[in-house]
Amino acid sequence: MRARARVGVLFVSPALTLFCLFLVGPILGALILSFTNFNVYAIGNWLRASFVGISNYRELLFEDPLFWVSLRNTFYCVSITVPATIAFSLLAALLLNSKRLRGKAFFRLLYFLPVVTNTAAMAVVWRWLFNYRFGLVNGLLSLLGIKGPNWLGDPAWAIPAIAAMVIWRGIGFNMLIFLAGLQGIPNYLYEAAAIDGANTWAMFRYITLPLLRPTTLLVTVMTLIGHIQLFEEPFIMTGGGPLNATLSVAMYIYRLGFRFFRLGYASSLAYVLFLIIFVVTLIRMKIGRSTFDYAGS
Amino acid sequence: MQGKGFRKAWRLTSKAALHVLAGGGAVIMALPFIWMLSTSFKPESEVFQFPPRFIPNTITVANYINLFQRLNFIRYFLNTSLVAISITLGSLFINSLAGYAFAKIKFRGRDPLFMGILATMMVPGSVTLIPSYLLIKSLGMVNTYAGLILPGLASAFGIFLMRQFIRTIPNELIEAAQIDGASEFWIFLNIILPLSKPALATLGLFTFMGSWNNFLWPLIIATDERMYTLPVAIAVLRGQHGGEFALQMAGAAVVVAPILIVFLLLQRYYISGIALTGMKG
Amino acid sequence: MKWREIAFVVLVVASLVGLNATARTPITIWAMGEEGLNLEQITPRFEEENPDIKVRVVQIPWDLAYDKIITAVAGGTAPDLCQVGTTWMAAFASMGALVPLDEFIARSQVVSPANFFPGSWSTAVVGGTVYGVPWYVDVRVLYYRTDLLQAIGVEHPPTTWEELYQVGLKLAEQGEYGLGLSPHWQEFLPFVWQAGGHVLDQTLTRPRVTDPEFIEALEFFVSLFQSGIAPIGEEIDLFEAFRTGFYPMFFSGPWMVKLISQRLPEIEGKWFVATMPKKVTRASFVGGSDWAIFASTPHREECWRFIEFMSRPDVQVDWYRILRALPAVTQAWQDPLLAEDPLMQVFATQLEDTVAPPATPAWEEIAQALTTRVEEAIRGVHTPTEAAQLLDQDIRKILARL
Repeated sequence: MRARARVGVLFVSPALTLFCLFLVGPILGALILSFTNFNVYAIGNWLRASFVGISNYRELLFEDPLFWVSLRNTFYCVSITVPATIAFSLLAALLLNSKRLRGKAFFRLLYFLPVVTNTAAMAVVWRWLFNYRFGLVNGLLSLLGIKGPNWLGDPAWAIPAIAAMVIWRGIGFNMLIFLAGLQGIPNYLYEAAAIDGANTWAMFRYITLPLLRPTTLLVTVMTLIGHIQLFEEPFIMTGGGPLNATLSVAMYIYRLGFRFFRLGYASSLAYVLFLIIFVVTLIRMKIGRSTFDYAGS
Repeated sequence: MQGKGFRKAWRLTSKAALHVLAGGGAVIMALPFIWMLSTSFKPESEVFQFPPRFIPNTITVANYINLFQRLNFIRYFLNTSLVAISITLGSLFINSLAGYAFAKIKFRGRDPLFMGILATMMVPGSVTLIPSYLLIKSLGMVNTYAGLILPGLASAFGIFLMRQFIRTIPNELIEAAQIDGASEFWIFLNIILPLSKPALATLGLFTFMGSWNNFLWPLIIATDERMYTLPVAIAVLRGQHGGEFALQMAGAAVVVAPILIVFLLLQRYYISGIALTGMKG
Repeated sequence: MKWREIAFVVLVVASLVGLNATARTPITIWAMGEEGLNLEQITPRFEEENPDIKVRVVQIPWDLAYDKIITAVAGGTAPDLCQVGTTWMAAFASMGALVPLDEFIARSQVVSPANFFPGSWSTAVVGGTVYGVPWYVDVRVLYYRTDLLQAIGVEHPPTTWEELYQVGLKLAEQGEYGLGLSPHWQEFLPFVWQAGGHVLDQTLTRPRVTDPEFIEALEFFVSLFQSGIAPIGEEIDLFEAFRTGFYPMFFSGPWMVKLISQRLPEIEGKWFVATMPKKVTRASFVGGSDWAIFASTPHREECWRFIEFMSRPDVQVDWYRILRALPAVTQAWQDPLLAEDPLMQVFATQLEDTVAPPATPAWEEIAQALTTRVEEAIRGVHTPTEAAQLLDQDIRKILARL
């Protein structure tokens, strides 16, 4: 078995080498930066930066109201987008895996489009959808007798609007992963269950869901890691406004680093975010651990 | 009599409902794409009408002609293809190999190492951009294909995806081969890979898409246009204040087309559990 | 026999040609978007006049150009010469990335501060040293629908704050809004300057946002929104809004001239531009791009010659002909192409009264704080005076870190 373990390490080594070469250095570099006051004067000449210990972290946690604002915004958004994206993409995968659906490949292509649609085009159409007076969303709401808010211009409704876009973009991506996972569930299990008289819901609950657990874990963790780093949608649609209602942590990091040149401070924020994501992921993986080893039988 | 008719009606209605649900969702999904496509065929004067028009009043191919004339299209297309295909093929091999090891081979430190690899996805890219650039520069890879391809080969997501999928492959298959004296690598090539086609197709698609669409890294790495990828080259055509939107949409459509073709080509790997039927529990 | 002679001649010619080619000093220029794409129409002429220099233009997209230049400076791979947006000058100069140009200017026949619009020249001066030479400028003016103004009985565009308010109110009553305005600092600051106020003091170390002029400007700006003249938080595409009269007036730069003609042919002849409304002055925001030489280049002299070339009035006019970007050199405006264009003459008049944002590397951060506090005042979260005081604290914190 020792020989087998050695082979395991061998198999991992190409990826590991590449990681060590290209990723570990910069990540550690950013960590070191977070303990310095690296700012605009230091970009041309590093020696102008100096170590400041944990004062960046202290300033972040105790003297920066925008940090807490961005954290709140991000978690508000994530609490909507993560469950919704996972649920809808699973639903889409099931729908588009059904034997009774014609033209599966075509439908899957359509659901995949949001993932690859040019973001400028996406912005134009979504701005129209959410437009206060003429938008489709408010138009539909008015049919139900509800007066829709000024979605992107109202601090109270901007995050839900952004959340809708994030969910829309995330469904296609996760759907494909679920589809791959669904293919791994042997057909004969469903056939046997059908013979035993099980209905669709029972088959879903007792065959599909359990056997999908490794995939579900992947999707949940990836969605969490991705959505907590929310950047693209608020950057394009609202630039963090109105009144910083859609400023996400990742956007704040970008702004601090590439607009204000406070790379040291930005790095400390990045590592706080890292810690949060790490803890959340760890929790999620421990919850999934009990049902981890399901090799099918 | 009545029972049979009822069941048939139920099957038909649920089938119709299925199509309606799937179709309705599909329309929402495709809306911005359709607008993008239709705008690429509009003259500039029609672009910013409100509400947005999904069918152009005047259809023109001038934007596409313009695009191909102003861009050295062949060069950027070949450039981007070389980079994307290299990264995709290399990534599929490297990450599935590692994924297999993490999924089925026990070795010391395996799980903490895996968490460590996952952790690399948790650091936002903005703060590692400049350190990464400095690293590439010190390795002498600025403005080279190596600098474009190598950093993209190992993917924490890819390893995670392959690991999760390979975990669902029954251990009995592997053990049987081991008893027959097969090497790990043989098992990997002849048992694991064929059974992982849907996961490989998914990873292949995402890797291809990511490297084909990559904008920031090729922009930063290049010191002249030779190393630009297609998205970067098209972005050069955009004015500071966003002129020529229809042209940009034509560019976006051109960039997206190969990805959609790859998507459709890979659909045939999403086949349900073929290799696992006929297996005794 | 003959072969050897021919070979000899060929060898000599080849080596002469080769020598000549390698004797040319190469300079690499980074230029963005359309400017980059079109610069190669002019560079051949420069190479003719300067046979010892070879120019290579690298085109970079406007998207993330800033990020690319920053990374290049940090990585030591900056180009020889670069087009730099005016609002970026202070940052790059503070990084130590740019070459001070005072000496070059002192001995130059072509480039001198007097040849440029004062507001534009000031964008290239950081801490008393000149780091760039303006290439082209952009200045903001008032765009307005002539027909919609006539319809409410207004014959000429508003020329003072009071008129702006009254006309805006009337237009808003008849239609939807009177003025398409946003809380962005580039739209707000001209009002401050028009009132005679400033964001920072002369030394750029202290905020002056609690001065009465600043607060007066903020109060006026806020009143434009709260009276219904300008929209609060409503997002509508500017072109469509101008076309339908949703926004009968708005402030913007010269690029809109081309874009409006291109995208809104239906309102041809129904719109025009006017200079900023006046309070104490009618100052407007000036921007554009400057040429800057990067400190890492071994070819400073050659880069300077290129800058001199681009600053010649005739070349400036040629550039206008190619891209319709406003020349930074005043003499270029005497060319009939510009002098006889009534639309351009409005820009020419406005260019005499412009202010650029303070040349401090912390400007982006200050501008962000500015936009936030102004937005808060507009939405009634704070009164203008409160917002100004909070802004004062914000700016002090930012400057203290420098």
